[in-house]
Amino acid sequence: MSEPKRLLMIDDDPDFVAGIKAILVKAKYEVDVAYNPKDGFQALKSKPYDLLLLDVMMGRGAEGIMIARKLGKDPKLRELPVLIITGIREQMAFLFPGQAVHPHFVPVDELVEKPVAPKLLLEKVEALLKTAEMRKAKSK
Amino acid sequence: MQPKHRILVIDDEEVVLDSCTQVLADQECQVTTAGNGAQGLKLVAESQPDLVFLDLKMPGLSGFEVLERIRSEHPLMVVIVITGYATVSSAIEAMKKGAFDFLPKPFTPEELRLIARRGLEHNRLVQQTVALRREKEMLRENFAAIVSHELKSPLGALQQNLYALTDELAEHLSADQKERFARLKTRLDDLLKLIHSWLRVFSVDIHKLKETFQPISVADVCAKAVETAQQHATRKAIRIQSSIVEPLPRIQGDEGSLVEVVVNLLNNAVKYSFPNGSIRVRVEAQGPQVLVSVADTGVGIAKEDLPHLFQDFARGHSQPEGVSGCGLGLAISRRIVEVHGGSITVESAPGKGSTFTICLPVAQAAPESSPTPERKV
Repeated sequence: MSEPKRLLMIDDDPDFVAGIKAILVKAKYEVDVAYNPKDGFQALKSKPYDLLLLDVMMGRGAEGIMIARKLGKDPKLRELPVLIITGIREQMAFLFPGQAVHPHFVPVDELVEKPVAPKLLLEKVEALLKTAEMRKAKSK
Repeated sequence: MQPKHRILVIDDEEVVLDSCTQVLADQECQVTTAGNGAQGLKLVAESQPDLVFLDLKMPGLSGFEVLERIRSEHPLMVVIVITGYATVSSAIEAMKKGAFDFLPKPFTPEELRLIARRGLEHNRLVQQTVALRREKEMLRENFAAIVSHELKSPLGALQQNLYALTDELAEHLSADQKERFARLKTRLDDLLKLIHSWLRVFSVDIHKLKETFQPISVADVCAKAVETAQQHATRKAIRIQSSIVEPLPRIQGDEGSLVEVVVNLLNNAVKYSFPNGSIRVRVEAQGPQVLVSVADTGVGIAKEDLPHLFQDFARGHSQPEGVSGCGLGLAISRRIVEVHGGSITVESAPGKGSTFTICLPVAQAAPESSPTPERKV
């Protein structure tokens, strides 16, 4: 069996993080957590990850979006797939329920709404990892 | 003590300035004067008076020019023109340009006092309206932020942990415990949904929908809505029959939100129907409109409740047992339909059932099967 995939989660709500992390750990992922954007970016720089789970509405305003933008500009980090977890979908006004939204901050990303059902979470994570791997294989 | 009101009089005749000051100035009222238009404009900008008296006929900058400048720079300022010619036409011209009222020369002190009082009162109301509007706007904007952060985040975290715990404990829980977990999740879900609809009403600018209008088929809208509402109906053994009268012209609109409207009407129909009842959905073109009607044979709506039905938080007085809701569905539906230039009406008789009808205007110059417009990149 291959190495477990390593995920990083950046979210400032420890309780919410616990609820997500438990699901991922049970599914044999290795999960690191950063509770603020600064630590999160530090972690991304210091260690290789296979996927990032990102809350876009941390603290005052959309600090998570800043991270996503920064990633998009970084030639190495922009290849990291990102699952954006958000509570603000209703503010994006009248999106059709169930429809996938691709924020396109980085080449491989997707958006899910808080709270996330375990099955949906695992499906999205798997799909993103697979897409990123295929992209990597193609570019080689 | 700061005087309560500030009045500016702009007139080239000193006698008018003097008499106005004499009549109007008191403890509550400070009167400033300007002998010509240019000076008047300077004082308007400097002191922001509550009320301006303005002579129409002055050498140099004319009263009309001054009026126009004041209106463009301070659109809310109350200006009363003093008209020397006592001709109605120039007064009307000034009113058209935004003057609040006019005072023909010569005038008595009593006339001046009366018209000044009216002008100040009008100014007070204007200021109050502005303040209220600003307050409402702030409330609307902040509400979204407050609700989503302070309420939704903790609920989301709770729900997330319930999800995780049910998953982790799956093998250890008895059927009864699982059932309780499921109910907790449903309760939390209901709360989250309620918050979503509040946000919809208070924070979303529904008129933005118009920016993405496309030619759409109302028949498709209804088909999708029926599909969504079907499970509720099946649970109560209620039949939904739809009839679509072809040909149907397309309309300009937003499919997602119109589906939401019809789902809303169908869910209401199911909610207020008796088990084993039936609901009829009918779509037909009528002149320049497409009509969608949803008819049930349920409890009906009392006459006194009808006028309030489409208002925020309105719920009928005679609720059947076990029916819950916050009374926002129809208010949201009305807004969505109105953004489409349409209307929504209801006919109902208690004990017999209700029929809701949506009228949507047909897209102008949209051919029968117009293609989706190209997207600009």
